[in-house]
Amino acid sequence: MGSTQDKPQLMINGKRLDGRGPADLRSIKIEPNVVKNAAGSAYIEWGKNKIIAAVHGPKEALPKHFADPERAIIKCRYMMAPFSSLEEHGRTGPNRRSIEISKVTKEVFENVVMLELFPNTEIDIFVEVLQGDGGTRAAGITAAAVAMALSGIPMTDIPYAVSAGKIGDTVVLDMDKLEDNYSDADMPVAVKPLDNEILLLQMDGSFTKEQLKQAISMITDAGKAIREVQEKAIRKPYEQIIEKYQK
Amino acid sequence: MQTIVVPGEKLSDSIIRIQNSTVINGKTYSTIVGLFSSDKNTLIPLEGLWHPAYGDTVIGIIEEYRLNSYVVNLNSPYKGILITKYVQDQLKKGDLIEASVKELDKTKTVVLMRSRRLTGGKIISITPSKVPRVLGKGNNMINEIEQSTKSSILIGHNGVIWLKGGDMKLATDAIFRIQEEAHTSGLTDRIKGMLTSGS
Repeated sequence: MGSTQDKPQLMINGKRLDGRGPADLRSIKIEPNVVKNAAGSAYIEWGKNKIIAAVHGPKEALPKHFADPERAIIKCRYMMAPFSSLEEHGRTGPNRRSIEISKVTKEVFENVVMLELFPNTEIDIFVEVLQGDGGTRAAGITAAAVAMALSGIPMTDIPYAVSAGKIGDTVVLDMDKLEDNYSDADMPVAVKPLDNEILLLQMDGSFTKEQLKQAISMITDAGKAIREVQEKAIRKPYEQIIEKYQK
Repeated sequence: MQTIVVPGEKLSDSIIRIQNSTVINGKTYSTIVGLFSSDKNTLIPLEGLWHPAYGDTVIGIIEEYRLNSYVVNLNSPYKGILITKYVQDQLKKGDLIEASVKELDKTKTVVLMRSRRLTGGKIISITPSKVPRVLGKGNNMINEIEQSTKSSILIGHNGVIWLKGGDMKLATDAIFRIQEEAHTSGLTDRIKGMLTSGS
């Protein structure tokens, strides 16, 4: 939330500052297998966001008292690079914000990954933000889901995440940094597309009941496009090799 | 016809019991990235770890010596245990062994038996889910490589492969190529061509 006094006009004639309508997403591009030493990895460009996600493991859980004899544990590290944004991210190491986002990302994956198959092990998720422009946690979860699928760890579904917000009284989707700072509400949501189960919901500001319902339905509609990009990225390395020999 | 499926993709409108799938509301969904063939009802994983099973052959490195057992690194999250009483060779840390899985418990501690020390040669590791493809139907893929390169090759189900003698570089290249192209058809012919032109 920015200052309420000198608020810039974010919607002009139903169009947003970058020319999008209220329900339009920014362009999304996912590149699979960018990190050689990880079990699975993905690089996402979501508007101006540039994020690398990597998954390691399963491996022996350390320290040993963290290990669970019934299931695997997930560790997640979300971090913004010092050069990633105009604001203060100059210090390296975990801060309050990155610890929070690491925790919510971890909880998203605890609900989709079949942890009971790997007792006594840990799975590491790393999300590194190289350039941030609003909605990095949503983009990070979307990329980490692709990395998790590519690592071969069984999961019930590939989750995606996207943020909804409110400019004036209009519900909008996928806000960038400027809209995020001066809007009236911001709500990142992670969804399991199989049954539209909500895995993450955080909210800044306020929605009415009707606006919240509208936001959720806008997110699940837009999710189909995000899911398509994710699937395409997962299939890409295998289809490239098949194409090579189909002459 | 085989298709590439991703986690959460519907395999069938009815319940089919195959590995790496889940049933929700009477419909079957995939949980992995794999190759699904609807007429044969098989789902082969394209990536993934080794799930220990009774009778699997494994290749590992001795990591630690305990009072009555050796701890073996199996290139997996789980360590192998080799009881000293049943081991004929004198083993030390860093030795390479071949063994088979004797028993497993709920926490997936792998107890090994029938160990054999491997001397010389080199080891490479591949994705464990590609091991059946490297072996081939009735071991014909690996026999082909062995005959062409004259090197002796041992394959562990945990994805560790031991090679000794002969043209090891060509054999390694062939194995890595099989790993990369495991999901394509006509692979055996391409590998045959590669081996004859390379040697």
